[in-house]
Amino acid sequence: MSRKYDITIGIECHVQLKTKTKLFSEVDNDARGKEPNSCVSPVDYALPGMLPRLNGEAVKLAIRAGAAMNAKINPESRFDRKHYFYPDSPKGYQITQFYHPIVGEGYIELPSGKKIRIENAHLEGDAGKLTHFDTYSLVDLNRVDTPLLEIVSMPDISSPEEARDYCKELWRNMIYAGVTNGDLYNGNMRFDVNISLKKPGDKKLGTRAEIKNLNSFRSIERAAAYEYERQSKLLDKGEKVVQETRGWSDATGVTTAQRNKEEAQDYRYMPEPDLPPLSLSREFIDTEYGKCPDLPADYRTRFAKMISVDTLEVLLDYPELAIRLAEIANSDQLMVDYIANLFASVLLAEENQSLLNDALPSASQLIELATMKSKNELSSTSAKEVFIKLFESKHASKTPSSLAKELNLIQENDSGALEAIVDAVLAKPETAKAQADYKAGQEKVLGFLVGQVMKESRGKANPSAVSAILQNKLK
Amino acid sequence: MEVTEQDINHLISLSSFSLGQAEKDALRRDLAGIFKYISKLDELDTSGVEPTYQVFEMKNVWRPDDIVTQDASREDLLALAKEECEHQIKVPKVL
Repeated sequence: MSRKYDITIGIECHVQLKTKTKLFSEVDNDARGKEPNSCVSPVDYALPGMLPRLNGEAVKLAIRAGAAMNAKINPESRFDRKHYFYPDSPKGYQITQFYHPIVGEGYIELPSGKKIRIENAHLEGDAGKLTHFDTYSLVDLNRVDTPLLEIVSMPDISSPEEARDYCKELWRNMIYAGVTNGDLYNGNMRFDVNISLKKPGDKKLGTRAEIKNLNSFRSIERAAAYEYERQSKLLDKGEKVVQETRGWSDATGVTTAQRNKEEAQDYRYMPEPDLPPLSLSREFIDTEYGKCPDLPADYRTRFAKMISVDTLEVLLDYPELAIRLAEIANSDQLMVDYIANLFASVLLAEENQSLLNDALPSASQLIELATMKSKNELSSTSAKEVFIKLFESKHASKTPSSLAKELNLIQENDSGALEAIVDAVLAKPETAKAQADYKAGQEKVLGFLVGQVMKESRGKANPSAVSAILQNKLK
Repeated sequence: MEVTEQDINHLISLSSFSLGQAEKDALRRDLAGIFKYISKLDELDTSGVEPTYQVFEMKNVWRPDDIVTQDASREDLLALAKEECEHQIKVPKVL
């Protein structure tokens, strides 16, 4: 799509790391479904004399996340205080890594092959949660100092669609690396989108607006598209874009300027004296870096000749599934496409999507199922039925053949047995007219007769074998 | 270094304090004194010297990722707040 103005987008993403405890205190980091202020310690309250103690696991996960962004890790990194006054932060400042971040330059490669550069990624503590009422606000400190990795991209993104693709690929890489639960609905990854427009050919970037706190790929794309329209209308009229923070509403589909907390942001960054600097050995970094498993890009290369691009892109949202398909490809490449399509068809049906959150059938179960299908022991419909049943815990340990037998789905290929069923159907008076019509040249009615045989066999007959027998008998 | 009325007002607004003129003047005097004392360092050439993060030269101090039961209960901590409402800290409306 050609646009009148060039779009420049840079994205900051906060990834919640899945540690057991918070970044600076030894309390439960998983406050989902828990009472307000039940996961807090005197450190989170910033009581006098309380000191932060760094969670080593967060350092390790940050390195692994860096590996998932093809980034270099800075052996020397430090913490700084970012001061601001707001009730969501009892300390009066956020501990972050402003001057010396742990993760340096890297990149994320989009499915299109384009690389979006990462400027840096740094560790920091989250703020508490405020709920606003008419005359007061309530503060829940459960989320205070939940470990976040803030990932800052370079302004390499040039369309709303690409912004969506980048966020999605970043999300995938983070869940494959296993550094976050990646639950977008619960804010495990939150995106701030910086967007500016300029005339094609202009060297200087335009004034940018920042859309804060987006948490779905669709809202990222919609908000960026809206912002393009808004800013281009201003520029068309010769007006200026104001540098500001804006909020997005999914319901209204527009961004609106947010009131500023302070007349001018002045964070007065300073070194955090309570946390000694990090000085990581090469060996330590390499060990953690090496824990990053295969990423979507690796699977794209791996399955390039086995699974169609469209199908693969649907399936790549599920790391467990990619691992399972790779296991299958190791033992039987020819079955991979069929099995991938089974999964894709399940995903296309809304009511089945939750299946993929459960344990997947094993590679050997899937290969056996695909083999039965290829030998015509199961019809396509029956194979899919067995496939879906394999996700149920009561069937999960069964072999596909025993399950298919139990469900009475084994397809009848034995020609003697099939002929007997065909004969029985042809003997029925209600098929007499169809037989006569077929003999008179109306070939279309063959389908009706095949259907009758299928019904008689309760779906177990192999339809193409039935069709051949029928044609032979009605000659 | 001079501390102006404007500097004080800026700091007060960043900290959301509400101070009277006498307090402002006192603060301004105190800060000016502190700056004067610290500015002794200006006599040294500190170009190329990094800000101090740690005076003990400690490095890589971190703890294992294990949950530890806290001595202070939720009620103990909430009791420290000026006002509490439904197990949350109640504060004047902010936005």
